[in-house]
Amino acid sequence: MWRQHTYKLLFSTLLLCGGLLMATNAGELKQSQAFDWIDVLGEGTTFLVACLWLGLIISSRPAGRVTEWLYYGSLLLMFSYFLDLLDEFIRYPDALRLMSWLESLPAPVGMLVLTIGLVGWHREQRAIDRQLRGRELFLRDHELIDPLTQLYGAEYLYAVLQREITLHRSMQKPLSLLLLDVDNFADFNRQYGIAAGDNYLVQLSELLSNQLRYSDVVCRYNGDRFVALLPNTAQLQANIIAQHLQQQFSLLTNQNQQPQLTLISLEVEQLSAKDALQQALNTLTSARKHGPLTLQTD
Amino acid sequence: MKHAHFGHQDKILLLQHGCTDLLTLAQRRGAPLHKLLAGTGIFEQDLHKPHGRLHHADWLKLLHNSQQHLNSPELPFLLGSALLQNRYISLCQTVLHAENLSQALRQLYYFRHHLFPSIYVQLCSQPQHLVLEFHSGIALGPQNNSCISIVLSLLLNLIKQQLGNTEGVSVQLQHDTATAVQSQLHWGCEVVANQASNSLHIALPKLQLPFHTADKAKCTAALRTCRQLNRILPRQRGLLERIYRLQRRALPQLLSLEQVAQQLDISVNTLKRQLKQQKTNFAQQLDAIRRDAARQLLQQGHYSNRQLAIRLGYSDEHNFRRAFKRWTGLLPSNFKSLLNSPSL
Repeated sequence: MWRQHTYKLLFSTLLLCGGLLMATNAGELKQSQAFDWIDVLGEGTTFLVACLWLGLIISSRPAGRVTEWLYYGSLLLMFSYFLDLLDEFIRYPDALRLMSWLESLPAPVGMLVLTIGLVGWHREQRAIDRQLRGRELFLRDHELIDPLTQLYGAEYLYAVLQREITLHRSMQKPLSLLLLDVDNFADFNRQYGIAAGDNYLVQLSELLSNQLRYSDVVCRYNGDRFVALLPNTAQLQANIIAQHLQQQFSLLTNQNQQPQLTLISLEVEQLSAKDALQQALNTLTSARKHGPLTLQTD
Repeated sequence: MKHAHFGHQDKILLLQHGCTDLLTLAQRRGAPLHKLLAGTGIFEQDLHKPHGRLHHADWLKLLHNSQQHLNSPELPFLLGSALLQNRYISLCQTVLHAENLSQALRQLYYFRHHLFPSIYVQLCSQPQHLVLEFHSGIALGPQNNSCISIVLSLLLNLIKQQLGNTEGVSVQLQHDTATAVQSQLHWGCEVVANQASNSLHIALPKLQLPFHTADKAKCTAALRTCRQLNRILPRQRGLLERIYRLQRRALPQLLSLEQVAQQLDISVNTLKRQLKQQKTNFAQQLDAIRRDAARQLLQQGHYSNRQLAIRLGYSDEHNFRRAFKRWTGLLPSNFKSLLNSPSL
């Protein structure tokens, strides 16, 4: 991210240097006995934290309008804190008002600019949330995201499923699960290499999150198993969705080297997430035993 | 026959034997290469040199980095199978074309310094099973579990691929239950958590079943390459493994620090320093050796406390009982009844 902001960094360094030059020109250095070290500590810390914020903004945000607002807002704050810190070491003549204006004016302006930036960030976040629908429900925890498929993992699934079960039960609405399993994924990996296997999983996860509805959530349960949570969906609808997915799978690339997929759908009747998933896994095992039939409905 | 022993700073691992596979797996999951290599002495341009090397400190750091930057608990399991399928590791090619599991395990054991010099195996035979106990030959620290998972993944993938299923195979792990559940999903065999040792149990008939891709010619060719590789990767054992073997062989006598140092051809002070580098000391090692020996003896047959005390070099059985209570929290007799209970 740093490379996108070279000019900004250059500009802020120049600004700070300019401030320093002006301050040294206008005033004279205090005697070291006159330093108030408590003030220096307090103002120094504020300045350093403002620097840290600026660094975090630069390192975490791509270039764009919201970033500019956030950046210049914190830059003004930082500038004001910088001059504030300098006047602990430098005494200005009483007649000179410019330095004290420069010290106190940028801070409120910076705050305003920063606020505009934060409002923009809030809007942007809402847009991202919409974009993320189908991949997450009420909970967000970036540490639970599987780095390969960018879907949430089993731990997330347990948490969300448990909450949805309770909610749906209290509102007397049906909740369904889809469980997708790649048959003999180990064989596929062996034959075409783990790179091809990883690639296939990524394709599969993209397809799943694209083809399901906005309200649904797809998680990577483990290795080659995906679970989709279908809120407010009865068995019949779930079957239709499963059939639709089944058709889409056949369109996935590389027809000849595609492994067999087993897809099952079932309505959740259990009270706990663990039991529900166990039931789904059992259904999957029995579906596998029945041979080549790949779509099983419970 | 004497072999040199190695420590964390000896460059005895080949980059091509695991490191590159780990890096490609982690990179595909979005971890940047420079972050993975941070803190190690490995340079990007060395990664493709056929005989580029690294030492254990770097290898452990790499494993640590990949866990730090990725929340991907499947990595060790995938790495195990990636190693097995790697065409450039001649040991794995040998194993894949071996006649049966027994031969494959023998080759793996014999050439283990090519792939996993830091892990050594102790064989115990039980009436129905062959038990392979995995120990670390040098201190692996927090990466111990990952290293064991990699080795076990390789073995279990081999069994699954060549024999079609993992019936009659079970794994006992020292790890906690959550890790064991994860492992079970990947390996598809029975995994028991919180055990005294990391071990793989294989039913005896399984060892002689012919492999799917058995091929004598290919196996011999790969073996030849393995032997050639021995010239640049000579047989070396970890310090803890050397001490373990010396002490086990000497039981019921207990070798002193001086005797062990003499056998290893180093001075007492060097030995002490090297043990300190591994964050352990001589007394701890000796205790661990006796603990393992006691457990194995109890698993194998019916010994009285007196016999056990004599075999393990205790002056009398009370001392043995006290030590056993300290290791397991149980008296030997309770441990025995636990072993014989039908639930196990």
